[in-house]
Amino acid sequence: MINIDNISFSYNDEANLENINLKIEKGEVILLCGESGCGKTTLTRFLNGLIPNFFDGKRDGEVYLNYDAISEMPIYEIAEHMGSVFQNPKTQFFNVDTTSELVFGCENLGIDEDEIKKRLNLVVSDFNLENLLDKNIFKLSGGEKQKIACASVSAVFPEVLVLDEPSSNLDSESSWHFEEIVKKWKEQGKTVIIAEHKLFFLPNVVDRVIYLKDGKISNKWAIDEFKGLDHRNLGLRQLNLENLKVKRNDYYSKDNEFFELKDFNFKYGKKHALKIDNIKIPKNEIIAIIGRNGAGKSTFANCLCGLKRSCNGELIYDGKSFNRKDRLKSTYMVMQDVNHQLFSESVIDEVLLSMDEEDIDFAEEILSNLNLIHLKDAHPMALSGGEKQRVAIASAIASGKEILIFDEPTSGLDLKNMMKVSENLRYLQSIGVSSFIITHDYELIMETCSHIIHIEEGRIIDNYKMDEEKLKEFFLRN
Amino acid sequence: MELGLNNEEKTFFNLDPRTKIFLLVILSFMVFNDVPFYISGILVLIPFLCLLFSNHKKTAIIYFVLYLIAKYIQIYLLPSSTGIIAIILITVSYTASRMLPILLMGYYTISTTKVSEFIASMERSNVPKDITIPFSVIFRYIPSVYEEIKAITNAMKMRGFGLTLKSLKNPLKMVEFYMVPILISAVKTSDELSAASLTRGLSSPKKRTHLVKVKFMLLDYILIAIAIVGFLVYAFYFIGGH
Repeated sequence: MINIDNISFSYNDEANLENINLKIEKGEVILLCGESGCGKTTLTRFLNGLIPNFFDGKRDGEVYLNYDAISEMPIYEIAEHMGSVFQNPKTQFFNVDTTSELVFGCENLGIDEDEIKKRLNLVVSDFNLENLLDKNIFKLSGGEKQKIACASVSAVFPEVLVLDEPSSNLDSESSWHFEEIVKKWKEQGKTVIIAEHKLFFLPNVVDRVIYLKDGKISNKWAIDEFKGLDHRNLGLRQLNLENLKVKRNDYYSKDNEFFELKDFNFKYGKKHALKIDNIKIPKNEIIAIIGRNGAGKSTFANCLCGLKRSCNGELIYDGKSFNRKDRLKSTYMVMQDVNHQLFSESVIDEVLLSMDEEDIDFAEEILSNLNLIHLKDAHPMALSGGEKQRVAIASAIASGKEILIFDEPTSGLDLKNMMKVSENLRYLQSIGVSSFIITHDYELIMETCSHIIHIEEGRIIDNYKMDEEKLKEFFLRN
Repeated sequence: MELGLNNEEKTFFNLDPRTKIFLLVILSFMVFNDVPFYISGILVLIPFLCLLFSNHKKTAIIYFVLYLIAKYIQIYLLPSSTGIIAIILITVSYTASRMLPILLMGYYTISTTKVSEFIASMERSNVPKDITIPFSVIFRYIPSVYEEIKAITNAMKMRGFGLTLKSLKNPLKMVEFYMVPILISAVKTSDELSAASLTRGLSSPKKRTHLVKVKFMLLDYILIAIAIVGFLVYAFYFIGGH
């Protein structure tokens, strides 16, 4: 069905892919995996025609779809055969409302209107989208957005689906839903190619695994063989989350100090988006905030940071009480899109900007502790994602923040980069900063956290010291 | 005020995108000159009515009250004020009374037009794709920018240099703080968006089909007629030499 014949690709003289040969049969589900930068995204771009139609570079070799060379097909013709879903749910929509988005592909290809209506009804029932029709896409959760993206490529009836890290913004429940979607495609006899870091939802649906390393295919396994491997050694995320062990069974700090949160209330219209009367959370720990998409985790984080005007509440620690405005000064959130919080022209300026009195020695000390000193004159926007995150952390330390909140710090990261984030969190702990992490990443929690807050429907339904069984119940049910 | 579609409730008040754009253009003439209230009134009412009948009642009323306040200042307060107060009043009231109708009409157009409706109506008028597609991206992009501005504002607040009176002393710095992240993400968004649209056949030379139906209805004709009458009165006022 698909024959990848000795393709190579280089971008600015850096080889991205070298001599890739692969035959994919009709109806197969293939997983492409490997560390960040191994070339899996580049390979998907060959398949959906974005190379050479959109991305330029030196390429060699050819991909054949049913004996037709893909590089010779115009991209709109490839679109009839290949459906693509991308990593970022925010930027793959052309429309603002869901229904138009679902039929967008069909309309582009000039499919007859009555036929489009039929297909719309079909995908709506296939993907259970009745509740999502005629909605504003910007108001949907990440999982819902990704569902719409899958359904809208499905409506074109492609033979092949190419998915580039589709689950990186999804919570565990939505990831399991994603498994169902792939199963459905498999039942319909479609060929599916998935490039992914997160593997845990895939073992029951994938047929073959292709492991890429430095732009080359380093190994191919049938899924049963793959299950028996040591994924950590390969630099991969865990396939079976059951294998993970808790690293932090006890609290880091022995002082038994607490944060006390009182009367955190926030309403959207008449609905209580957050309602916390009184809870105690241990200080100087790394705390995971878990809960489903839309449970109120972000609202909680925003209120804790003092960003929601109408949510006053009281945070008490060290014998002091902090109201909303005080909290703005003592807390800091590292956002999922760090680009929003870097303002200066160089890394060192970014850190100095946070200080009341500029202290270059202290700034340099912070940067060397975070492994950023060699980049101190670089422009923050020119750094990699992980480095940007560290700059944001550095600026928070510089302004003397005692509480840091991380919004999904590891979404879309491979094992190596996740471990780096975990290291940063521990460094923060060692200098007395308490971290709250909003996350769907079970592996990160097992690696780093010692306390869990579970939020559902705007209420804290559980607040406990690391407990593997309880955590599993939330992440592994299915 | 929140940007975004509210199509969940269907209303009888549904204008063709072409009508909305026509009204927007007519209203834009208001920036150029100031006319007495009894003449501009017709045009000023258009965005008010549009918003009122399309689930933006609160915005409509706020707009109308603000407009009346601006006019009140112009007519009753200005003649009796002098010096710095007069300058402030003139700036505020004239900006408000001239810009508000256009801004609100723009808000109405963006927030009630689906991208697909816009493309469908443009293609009905045989506007070539090369023009339609870039313009339709505007409808898609404005809600993104809105989300981004919100995130940047939050980030600035946490760093202690949020939008306050003190920070306005150095407005250029503020502009820079907003523009750099917005531009960076605009480049990224436009790249990813174009790639995604290409893989979905946007560049196909075949004639697009449309599931949404757009058509000029009675309501469109009525509003266009009102706008033309309003505009003619406005134009004659000048030609007639006041």
